[in-house]
Amino acid sequence: MRHSILVSDIGELPTSIQAPVSGQGTFDPWRTRAGALGLFLTLGTLGLGVLAPWLAPADAAAISGPALSPPSLAHPMGTDAIGRDLLSGVLLGGRTSLAVATAVVSLALVIGLSIGLLSGFFGGFTDHVLMRVTELFQVLPRFFFAVVAVAVLGPGLDRIVLVLALTSWPVLARVVRAETKSLRHRDFVRAAEACGATPARIIVSELLPNVLPGALVMASLLAGQILLIEASLGFIGLADPSVVSWGTLAGQAQELLRVAWWMPLFPGLAISGASLGFNLFGDALSSHLGGR
Amino acid sequence: MRGLREFVALRRRRTLRTVSARYLAARLLQIVPSCAAVVVVAFLLIQLAPGDPVLALAGEHGDPAYYAFMRQRFGLDQPLPRQLATYCIRVASLDFGVSYVQGRPAAEMIAERVPATLVLTTTALLLSLLVAIPLGILAGRRPHGAADFAVSALTVAFQSTPSFLLAHLAILGLALGLGLFPVQGMTTAGSPGSGLKHFVDIAYHLILPALVLASQEVAVLARLTRTGLVSELDSDHVRTARAKGLVERVVLWRHAMPQVLLSLVTVIGARAGHLLAGAAVVEIVFGWPGLGRLMLTGLQTRDTPVLLGVFFVISLAVIFANLLTDLLYAALDPRVRYR
Amino acid sequence: MLLCGCNLHPAAKRSGLLVAAIASDPGHLNPAITTNGGVHTASDLLYNGLVGLNSKAEPVPELAERWEVEEGGAVYRFHLRPNVRWHDGRPFTSADVKYTFDEVLLRFHARARASLSPALSAVETPDAMTVVFRFKRPYAPFLQQLDVVEAPILPKHLFEGTDPLKNPVNLAPVGTGPFRFVAYAPGAEIRYRVNPDYFGPKPELSDLVLRVIPDRGTQVMALEAGEVDWLFGVPGPLRSTLRRNPSIRFLQTSLSPGGSDCITTLAFNLDRPSLSDARVRRAIAHGLDRRLFLERVTFGEGRAAETSISSMIAFAHANDLKAPAYDPGEARRLMAAAEKGRIKLGFTFFPTDAEYGNLLRAQLAEVGIDVELHALEAPVLVQAVFVQRDFDIALIPYCNGTDPEIGVRRMFVSSSIAPVPFSNAAGYRSAEMDSLFEKAASSLDPKERGRIYHRIQELALEDLPYLPLIETENTRAYSARCEGFVSSSHFAAAARCGP
Repeated sequence: MRHSILVSDIGELPTSIQAPVSGQGTFDPWRTRAGALGLFLTLGTLGLGVLAPWLAPADAAAISGPALSPPSLAHPMGTDAIGRDLLSGVLLGGRTSLAVATAVVSLALVIGLSIGLLSGFFGGFTDHVLMRVTELFQVLPRFFFAVVAVAVLGPGLDRIVLVLALTSWPVLARVVRAETKSLRHRDFVRAAEACGATPARIIVSELLPNVLPGALVMASLLAGQILLIEASLGFIGLADPSVVSWGTLAGQAQELLRVAWWMPLFPGLAISGASLGFNLFGDALSSHLGGR
Repeated sequence: MRGLREFVALRRRRTLRTVSARYLAARLLQIVPSCAAVVVVAFLLIQLAPGDPVLALAGEHGDPAYYAFMRQRFGLDQPLPRQLATYCIRVASLDFGVSYVQGRPAAEMIAERVPATLVLTTTALLLSLLVAIPLGILAGRRPHGAADFAVSALTVAFQSTPSFLLAHLAILGLALGLGLFPVQGMTTAGSPGSGLKHFVDIAYHLILPALVLASQEVAVLARLTRTGLVSELDSDHVRTARAKGLVERVVLWRHAMPQVLLSLVTVIGARAGHLLAGAAVVEIVFGWPGLGRLMLTGLQTRDTPVLLGVFFVISLAVIFANLLTDLLYAALDPRVRYR
Repeated sequence: MLLCGCNLHPAAKRSGLLVAAIASDPGHLNPAITTNGGVHTASDLLYNGLVGLNSKAEPVPELAERWEVEEGGAVYRFHLRPNVRWHDGRPFTSADVKYTFDEVLLRFHARARASLSPALSAVETPDAMTVVFRFKRPYAPFLQQLDVVEAPILPKHLFEGTDPLKNPVNLAPVGTGPFRFVAYAPGAEIRYRVNPDYFGPKPELSDLVLRVIPDRGTQVMALEAGEVDWLFGVPGPLRSTLRRNPSIRFLQTSLSPGGSDCITTLAFNLDRPSLSDARVRRAIAHGLDRRLFLERVTFGEGRAAETSISSMIAFAHANDLKAPAYDPGEARRLMAAAEKGRIKLGFTFFPTDAEYGNLLRAQLAEVGIDVELHALEAPVLVQAVFVQRDFDIALIPYCNGTDPEIGVRRMFVSSSIAPVPFSNAAGYRSAEMDSLFEKAASSLDPKERGRIYHRIQELALEDLPYLPLIETENTRAYSARCEGFVSSSHFAAAARCGP
């Protein structure tokens, strides 16, 4: 049977999957520590995002202090040009940015898992067609597609999520498909088939649990990328001004880097920290899984 | 997870007998649906936009004569399938419409900007390979050593920093602070120049933006080199080579690195989209007159023909980068030659 | 590279070259077909108007040497300067003036089209050196509308019989101005050389470069690094940094890219039920602290505006009138009286005015109005506000020009409720207001006109279709190696740059 996989999308995969580190299964202190840091950062940012409305000292849109005041006890991250509390902005803005990342990743997971599982399970013509479709979505340049979509349809988080999800699922689908293919003829799947389980049942209860971890690795790395893309969109002014996000906070404060270093720095650090967390977590997860 | 590894290994070992004419033709043919998909997506976007599609296609300028012109040129009064066909034909012949702002074909305006972006991205790519490979080797030769830790920390940090922040910090520190590089632009203001002096001038302006753009690529490529090298050094053929008593340098460059470099080649094509998106941000910060800047101008003036044109050209670049990668891979893979 | 490093650094420039930064690529260089600020910044230096405006905004000779006003202000006769040549060597004549007005300005230049076409009946050329403008009624402000911003004159021999919007000359312009066009590198820079045959005082510069740098932070760093000598504006917070730099000088001006003496104004869409209630508009006015806008949005640049006529137009501005003062308590009382509960309004503005939006949202939240922000790029905003009228409150920088007839009339008269950029955005109709503007335009006595404009400003504050926020001022920053700048659009015509 013909393999429809192209060499060219290897670059999207986490490096530890591409070339597993030697001696897996043995104790690896650096990976473990990095993984712990990743887990800590990921859970930390997600937790802060969820709890932001209770943690934020002020309304992110309200004027709560003097203009451009450097970090102080009253305003631990300082205030912006019109006197809004930056800590509140970073907390509540993180909620928006993380919500975007979560929505994109969830959508991409749903599409990627469905296509990948169907393609890998049924093979043949279904596989051929689905993989052709996947290839088509894979060549759309994510960032430029988002820019054009916002320009034509107007700004809004919904279309940004949709565009980013539409361009993110193909890699997931390919990974899931390959994994499914390799599991397809293993004993436990055959046993289930022999017992008369329907394809739907086999896919959901036998294959899905086994491909999910690999997909989660990809999802975690994807989340890190999405945060950076959201920031870039904020920088070129494509974010919705009514909604505070890390992208708008960091992007719009760039010109103030020298007079109010805290304004670009703290949102920038938040983006870096969260993205770092997702990256480390993804890497650690993948080498952990690889070691099984 | 084993499936994943098999998946990758499979692709590495793809059963190419040679870069046969048949493979070449099949791969070339794959471009057609890819290109068509990009055009269809843009077409759907225009149709999805609220209001008259001519507003989405031409930008909201409110000039009835211009709208009539664009409507006729892109057949917007015809039924949908005909419209799609007209649109595909127009785009396929590189006719993206006429810019409302400049009154010139958008394709012409885009062509003017391609060289600047090409210079920036290729330089950044070469720079990143130049930096990433030594870093990767440094880290990969002694996994879990101090160097490995340092390189990992550095690359992960670069990979997680928004590029516009990095660009501003670089200008502030290296250009304005230390005076090592110019702050902005592609040439010294007011010097049209030609020949060697012009070349040197551009090179001098190029270094800083290329470095900033490269830093994100370095992160990915160095990590890839590292993991690739670690697994190669552990492989049977490297062990055999070592057992034969070969010098470590020979083992590294003759036996381990070729396979690692090959895997780098495969990544570069897949990262074309990332690289071009990064270039857009860097161009805006540094005032580099490339496609990303044109996209921003198109966005601000709602010059949709230009904006969509940039989208098509970037998509085309990504498609071709992928094609090139696949062909290069097929041509380079040593196992193909041994057969 | 190090070998030639001494003259390689872009800061090492020859004297006589001035480099100015602009934020966006102008796209074309024809100032007669647009009021776009970017195009005018890049092209006004190449062209002339019939008259110029001095620093007191009084008309001074430019392409016209002298003029007479006849028939009580209904006829203007201009005697053109002899021996003026276009940059391509062809002589400038009255035919160029007639062509430019009839075929270009009155059709494509938004302000000329809005104010002149209803009033002007004919442009006549009795001979090659004389132009006569005939109006349907006495028209007082005409001399203020003839400078290079409002009415640049194009060469007829290069434009006649073509579509002025698509003429290739727009990208390789030929004018009469102090600078000649040399080259346009799209997205990078526009190069000019001094015009040795210029009829006015000869510029002392040899070359001028307008450099496109979209990022405002980068612009400032380029000025400090010496790569650029002139900035048209500096972001508020960065001005204090630059002021500490001894090699940077400043020039304050009321000239904005799109026109002069602009007032950043809130336009209330009177077709919206909640905003048609005068109490809501008054509540909004009381809910906004204009001093805070001045302090935190413009960083002290400009003045808090009190009426819709700029204080720079001395004969017309009413010193004794005040806009509703900041009083959140009164605002809440008015909102309660309007009995609408907490209301939700959209606020539409240009992306560069985002901080206005943020502060307005914060302040109006205090008085019971939730504001949704819509940052729209210029063409989209014009379409949404003036064509589709799909907005609640819009932030419009209405540029007064040097006479209320140029920039204020279009805001208030009912006849300018039309899909024309920067017209009557509020959709305000008042028979009294219409007749006041008719009277003001046809009177030639400045005292009499002043009295009428006083009543106009009073009525505007009573009805409150607009709320003037800030009279804008702009800060130009330039390198101390250059001097002799003026605030007009020919800013560099008399400049000198040392080594």
